[in-house]
Amino acid sequence: MTALWALTTRELKAFWYSPIAYVVGGVFLLLQGWVFWLLLAVLNDPRVDPSWTMTQFFFGGTFFYWFSILVVTPLLTMRTFSEEKRTGTIEFLLTAPVTDTQVVLAKFLGAWIAYIMLWALTLPFFLLLRTFTPFDWGPVVTGYVGTWLVGAALLAFGIFTSSLTRNQVIAAVLSFVAIILLFSIGVLDVFVRDPEGSRLIQYLSLMEHLRAFSKGILDTRPLIFYVSLTTIALFLTGRVIANPRWRS
Amino acid sequence: MTTPIEVRNLTKRYDTVTALADISFSVQTGEIMGFLGPNGAGKTTTLRILTGMIGPTSGSVLVDGLDVTERTLEVRRRIGYLPETVVLYPELRVREYLDYRSRIKGVGRRTRAARIAEVLAQCALEDVTRKLIGRLSKGYRQRVALADCLLAQPNILILDEPTIGLDPHQIRQTRELITSLGQTTTVLLSTHILPEVEMTCQRVAIIDKGRIVAVDTPERLRQRLQGSQLVHVQLRGDASAIEAALKQLPGVARVTAQGHANGLAAFEVQANTGADVREAIFRLAVERQWALLQLAPTQVSLEDVFIHLTTQEQESVVANQEPAHV
Repeated sequence: MTALWALTTRELKAFWYSPIAYVVGGVFLLLQGWVFWLLLAVLNDPRVDPSWTMTQFFFGGTFFYWFSILVVTPLLTMRTFSEEKRTGTIEFLLTAPVTDTQVVLAKFLGAWIAYIMLWALTLPFFLLLRTFTPFDWGPVVTGYVGTWLVGAALLAFGIFTSSLTRNQVIAAVLSFVAIILLFSIGVLDVFVRDPEGSRLIQYLSLMEHLRAFSKGILDTRPLIFYVSLTTIALFLTGRVIANPRWRS
Repeated sequence: MTTPIEVRNLTKRYDTVTALADISFSVQTGEIMGFLGPNGAGKTTTLRILTGMIGPTSGSVLVDGLDVTERTLEVRRRIGYLPETVVLYPELRVREYLDYRSRIKGVGRRTRAARIAEVLAQCALEDVTRKLIGRLSKGYRQRVALADCLLAQPNILILDEPTIGLDPHQIRQTRELITSLGQTTTVLLSTHILPEVEMTCQRVAIIDKGRIVAVDTPERLRQRLQGSQLVHVQLRGDASAIEAALKQLPGVARVTAQGHANGLAAFEVQANTGADVREAIFRLAVERQWALLQLAPTQVSLEDVFIHLTTQEQESVVANQEPAHV
């Protein structure tokens, strides 16, 4: 446990001590601030459909939400294995008395905690709003949980692609493409007439999941979906780094 | 008491390339063993298998009697390993890095601060504890990595080319440190620098092209080769004709041309074990009417052993440039 936590804090430090954190964090907050401003405009507009809720708008309701998730996650993970392999620090890591599982898990936890912290920075929006108007905290909580769950899966993907190459940019592009593909499955729904196929697509659709989460619904199906995705991606990463060809 | 390091019939293949071919050797408790060979001989591969970073194709490695592939973590806990290329996280400060390493190495919380202070002192790093690793000179970084090796008080140190890229002053300090550590710890020291082995090691294993070619004390290796004679010859005459004639002499194992100028040609002649070729050279010179200007036996150094065993001329150039006593 001590070792896992030490590895995780190292990951967090690598992120927070680098300029990437401030560029990513800055752009992220700018986007979210923009979304919040739009949100206020929408809430004040009497013509808007009253069934639309604030959280539905904030979590998954705008292009900016998806943009910040799809772009931020590859940036958080591209470094994880590629950089260690390119510079050679990986040799110190893989000859220390830690297991491959601990190493992979720490990389994941580091990236995930950084991601959770980024989203936590948007909490003041809701606190601010609360001082002006009463609302239910439930959908806000499930909205964050949903966002963190989606993030977990996408980050695990990114860590996997980072383990495949010693080039950070290639790692980022690979995970970005994979994430876009996963995301576009949901968009395909428009083209499918078959009800069975449509149901399958809805089960795999990130947007559909977020719609449920932002309504305050904590469904176990997407929960299982994201936990499985994360587990599979991390397992594959473990297989990659256990490969002797990769290590030497 | 078990043998600290025991390598048995170790083989490592990459596709068609055989990096290690059936090597065996052992390191005894408390000794400093040199692991000598030219670049690409398989030293780093062997050490990486020893530390469980990569697995062997066949054969086994026992560290304190534990199989590396089966009980990797326990083995790693017993070993302090200094890789050949020292790259540490540049964004961390020296103390911060050692604190991180002591945590992943399982140094107890109560002893951690004391251990870090100890290794900082041992490696003369007290002045830079708050410096970023990325800002340190290569010599300092090497010492930080060495300090990291010592953190968990391992019984065995495996050092891969610990003095490479250091200046003469740092090289001497590092060697002194290794020698002093060798009094309490078992050390396996990989290097391609011969004076380093002669100065610090009690025994040496010589590896070349993935094979162990000799395991002995530096003195005995020297003696072993002194059994065969090495003479410097200088003759006046056609260099190529002389070389050809020398090679024809009975008892001559090897002739190395050492340049010629103004009709003078110099050679180094290596005799077969037990043979004395000096008289034969003299008679040859008389017979062919080449004036014999020099005929001198050479003191055989480990460097020659090395060349003899591996015939890697290039390596000797590198090794010769290495100051023997700095």
